[in-house]
Amino acid sequence: MRKFFPVEELARDARFTQITMRESQADPRSSLVGESTGKRPKTNRLTPSRPDASDAARSLMHGIFVGEIQALEGAGRTCHDFETGDGRTTDTVPFALKLDMARQAWDEARHVEISVKLSDWMGTEIGQFAENTVLFEVACSNDPVLRLAGVNRALEGLAIDVFTTMKEFGDLAGDPYLEFCEDWMLADEVTHVKMGSDWLRRVTEDDPERRKKALEFQSVVDKIFSFGGTRSDSSESPIGLARRFRELAGFTDTEVTEIAEVSLAALEDRKAFSAASLQADATTAS
Amino acid sequence: MTATVSPLEFRFVKFDAALTERVADELVAALGIDRPVHIEIDETTPLGRVRATIGDDAIHLHVESGAFEDSKRPREQSETATAVNLGRILLRVRDRLHGGFGEAPPDDELSLRQMAAWETYCAGRLARLGLTVNQQRWLYNFRNRHGFTDAADAAFHQIWTADGLTWGELEAISTAAS
Repeated sequence: MRKFFPVEELARDARFTQITMRESQADPRSSLVGESTGKRPKTNRLTPSRPDASDAARSLMHGIFVGEIQALEGAGRTCHDFETGDGRTTDTVPFALKLDMARQAWDEARHVEISVKLSDWMGTEIGQFAENTVLFEVACSNDPVLRLAGVNRALEGLAIDVFTTMKEFGDLAGDPYLEFCEDWMLADEVTHVKMGSDWLRRVTEDDPERRKKALEFQSVVDKIFSFGGTRSDSSESPIGLARRFRELAGFTDTEVTEIAEVSLAALEDRKAFSAASLQADATTAS
Repeated sequence: MTATVSPLEFRFVKFDAALTERVADELVAALGIDRPVHIEIDETTPLGRVRATIGDDAIHLHVESGAFEDSKRPREQSETATAVNLGRILLRVRDRLHGGFGEAPPDDELSLRQMAAWETYCAGRLARLGLTVNQQRWLYNFRNRHGFTDAADAAFHQIWTADGLTWGELEAISTAAS
């Protein structure tokens, strides 16, 4: 069976449409949100009090659904792509790490099924929204330790933030299914982050340079996964940073603070990028 | 009656003014709108609000580009979304013009609950006109504003299948369910 599978060849049926992160971020309209009519809420945080709450929640739920598919694919690839060994070189991983990745793949498969049912409950069809493939892209590193940093700590860390936001949304709206399901998936994500943190420490115990490289990679991925400020402590971001659950998952206070700073920087970068795209389009048109 | 669209060409989205005019013309005819409709598309925002100003001589619609967008293909137009979102606002306009909705607050003063009830009433009628409308989407929206209860679901189905409601009747069903 083939190893190191490229993102362009992920198996999807005709219902799915995929877009890249760059395409998503290049939309020049994004920078102008809140400026066209002047009458907008003071916060973009996803809560039931937003007039567009139902549709925004449906869109985020579909994002969770495709994210779970890619997380399943990423964990599965890590089980298969590397030989069993002591993990001291980049071409091997300990057998127990493979077992943890297999358990994670099982969890993610269950999350996909839950997400499909929740989407159905909310009135969303499979493939109704474009699928951003950035999640799988960070699971394509040749070094398994970088995958642990990118997938388990950054991606699953984002999942903690998203599930916390959706759980609170369900609680406030009085939607028992949404709240319950998100709570259970959230518990799994905390475990996945902890597995990543533990294995990252163990595998790089005698290799500080490799550990440093992995944590630097995580920082880059955390910025990417802030989706241009979609997730941050700012009320301009629909998804908040779930500090408490991140603590439970093993993030230190310093690490959470760093992620908060990276997320805010991503928000500012996106504003600047969108404004530049808008200016470029306007120049081209004139 | 005919519909007009501005702008005719777009810089930030790949929309088709002619398609929008055709869809609007069909809806204006199907819904029996008695005056011209002008659609102004705001392509500078990806949000999806649609607002109407009813004049004696014409109806002016202000549409944010997200309302006509294909959720599978960002910045591209969806004919289905265009038809459904134009249909929703035109039905609200028709309700106001045809009487029985004189007591309804202006659109921007409607509560989220009131808006959800009226949107349900519009979406149900659009479905019966043959437009592609996902009933579960509107049920979810209704539940978010009225509660996840059997009473709310019963009210939803009463409104969804109704024709010829007045504002007072619609508001009474909605209030009783919440």
